[in-house]
Amino acid sequence: MGLVLLGVSVLTFFIAHVVPADPVLVALGEHARDDQIEAYRKAYGLDRPVPIQFVTYLGRLARGDLGVSIRTRRPVADDLGEFMPATVELGGAAWLVALLLGIPAGILSAVYKDRIFDHLSRLGALAGASLPVFWLGLVLLGIFYYRLQWFPGPGRFDIVLSPPQVRSGLLVVDAALARDGAALRNALGHLALPALTLGLFSTAVIARMTRSAMLEVLYQDYVRTARAKGLQERRVIVLHALKNAMIPTMTIIGISFGSLLSGAVLTETIFAWPGLGRYATASAVSLDFPAVMGVTLVVALLYTVVNLLVDLIYARLDPRVRYG
Amino acid sequence: MRMLVPAILVLLSLLVAPATGPTFAAPARDTLVYVADISDMISLDPAVAYEFSGILVAQNAYDTLVAFEGEDLTTLKPRLAQSWKITDAGSTWKVTFTLRQGVKFSTGRPLTAKAVAFSFDRVIGLNKSPAFLFKDVAGLKEGDTKALNDRTVEVTLPKTASPQAFLSVLTFTVGAVVDPDEAMAHATGGDRGEAWLRNHSAGTGPYVLERWDSESRAVLAANANYWGAKPKVSRVVIQHVPESSTQKFMVESGDADIAANLTPEQARELTGKADVKVQKGRLLQLVYVGMNAKHAPLDKVQVREAIRWSIDYDGIVRSLLRGEARKVQTIIPEGLFGFNASAPFQANVARAKALLAEAGLPNGFSTELLVPTGPAPGGVRWADVAAKIQSDLAKSGIKVTIKETAQAQLLNIYRAQKGQLVMILWGPDFPDPDGNVTPFTDYAAKSIAWRNQYEDATAAKLAKQAALEPDPAKRKALYKELTDRILHQGPYVILYQPTTRFALRKSVQGFVWNPMAFAEFKTVSK
Repeated sequence: MGLVLLGVSVLTFFIAHVVPADPVLVALGEHARDDQIEAYRKAYGLDRPVPIQFVTYLGRLARGDLGVSIRTRRPVADDLGEFMPATVELGGAAWLVALLLGIPAGILSAVYKDRIFDHLSRLGALAGASLPVFWLGLVLLGIFYYRLQWFPGPGRFDIVLSPPQVRSGLLVVDAALARDGAALRNALGHLALPALTLGLFSTAVIARMTRSAMLEVLYQDYVRTARAKGLQERRVIVLHALKNAMIPTMTIIGISFGSLLSGAVLTETIFAWPGLGRYATASAVSLDFPAVMGVTLVVALLYTVVNLLVDLIYARLDPRVRYG
Repeated sequence: MRMLVPAILVLLSLLVAPATGPTFAAPARDTLVYVADISDMISLDPAVAYEFSGILVAQNAYDTLVAFEGEDLTTLKPRLAQSWKITDAGSTWKVTFTLRQGVKFSTGRPLTAKAVAFSFDRVIGLNKSPAFLFKDVAGLKEGDTKALNDRTVEVTLPKTASPQAFLSVLTFTVGAVVDPDEAMAHATGGDRGEAWLRNHSAGTGPYVLERWDSESRAVLAANANYWGAKPKVSRVVIQHVPESSTQKFMVESGDADIAANLTPEQARELTGKADVKVQKGRLLQLVYVGMNAKHAPLDKVQVREAIRWSIDYDGIVRSLLRGEARKVQTIIPEGLFGFNASAPFQANVARAKALLAEAGLPNGFSTELLVPTGPAPGGVRWADVAAKIQSDLAKSGIKVTIKETAQAQLLNIYRAQKGQLVMILWGPDFPDPDGNVTPFTDYAAKSIAWRNQYEDATAAKLAKQAALEPDPAKRKALYKELTDRILHQGPYVILYQPTTRFALRKSVQGFVWNPMAFAEFKTVSK
């Protein structure tokens, strides 16, 4: 894991420094004078040779210091701490949507292969996998917020209300901790459309994978044996077939976490969700290297941890896979 | 499976729950919701804020000594200063302000002349983005602002600074007066309260900052100690909504009262809607093409004039921008003191060809036009404006190759004097003609004239003279002479002055956009 993170930091650092544009000009704007530009360059260490900048960066990183953002002029770690919970909440909800809709849809599709549910579910999966997040978000917002008014507007909480006291930074959790039912409903209402928008692509991918894995397993000898010894069909599917079919699906679930993070950028823009995706975009646009590198590192860390967990779950699902 | 079905039901019920409950809270009558892209907000301290959204908040939480009200940037109005006078003290200018009586900060402490001196010195001492307006434009140092007594402030300016430009600078947030006791009570490590004032306020303005959540919202609440008429709405929520389509949904559904970043198409879609109205706002930006005056054949005045006579300005404003801009051809934008309405140029191929022949180029020439990527002010892409210019110039025999470059990279080339034709925009740093005239005309200022290698000693001298002239009538005449000169001699094709647009709920009244890019919410009602 350490190696992966080191690789990511080397790559992002050098990609950021190959860009043929000057972050100082972006930060100070067209009107800046040469002496201001020089002072700024010096303040952020951008006047030193790139290898020295890199060594300094790694040294700081080793001490847990992600540097200071050129754009917000605050420590990157503080910024990440502020924007991370919103993305974790959105990503977690979207993942939940993907798991709770994708896996059952895949199972039912396989069980009722070539029946009406299967056709509908495959059509849904095709749509989910091919609709651009940006378009989907605007359409959902247009229908369910603007036309039908079933859901509240963009943002994490109603504009005119005060959000619950921050404890975890996850509004749903904070509202629940504060035992504030109205706030919880409000936070959940605001979360629904962006979570659906963000989760639909992963739902489609997970549904497809579960379906094909289930189909493969359902025709195996051991499933036939289970049925032959008179087990209930539900037990056959859940206990015998699903457990084995989940192995390839788990890989997809791990990988889909990456697509959730990349989709978060657009979803957060449409739904005015103050998360890491928005922060990453704004930082990239203003060539804010420390912030971009901070976000990349945190995302890489999350991605690695999630895939490590997936690997550990493999071992639970398949006794042949054992580590150490 | 047994677990999955209830889990799905729970999830679906959560998703549908809001639909069955009461509708979500719409803004109350005393709360104004303003939606905009406020991702540039990094500090709300008036000595630090130099970004559009930070200035919008600070302008409403703080007061300045003098102000421009509404759209008019030509007449200074009293604000915290009841009166002021400029005196020639020989080797310096003295600007003396008499403060309004009975003004209190939101903290309850009285406004004093010492607070003004503290605030001005604080800007200079902190030396953040807007400090150059005091240090460079006005030539101020710490200690140049003195409290003569409780109600009289005297500022000493060097003779090289323009007292008129200084007064214009004072209308901006950099000239805001901060409660010194409050700022110093929260100071840490000699920062004069900067860290605390980043997300708190301590001013005399009509509102106080209630809270600011980064990338989310800033909330202003009416200041109970405000000296002027009570604001008509007691709370203003400035909500971060980066996507303009979402802003449109919100204002149409009544969740927002004002949407600030609609595209021209979105604004057109809203015209004729029952509950929403569209209002235009003036900007001080100029979109122009800079011509490198040392790059042959652009070094010939006739060639530059031929380019100016080739372009179909009316076509750009009417067809391309669909009226989202004004045709302006001189270097001071409309709305600022000294604006010169002269706009003689319109596509005239015969005249352009004759000028090229006079310059020894009867068959025209080839050149390169550098343009930024993305949208230009007025709602079209820079590349679309460039294509129009390319086709207009082709008619006169000038072959243009368009090079689209990210703005940061374009600026690198432009600032290194390496452009041939460069299309870009300029907005003044402070609402005074000198904010445009010196950059556009004085080579030594190392700004726009320098980037286009335009050295014109007469123009630079006139610019200095006009900046320092305290008599408005004489100053106006000087700017007329200078802008007329640059119109024909200079290395610029001024294409247009863009406007901006807002969608407002029909009930919203009294919203006025200040062309320096902010609004005063105290006049707004709903």
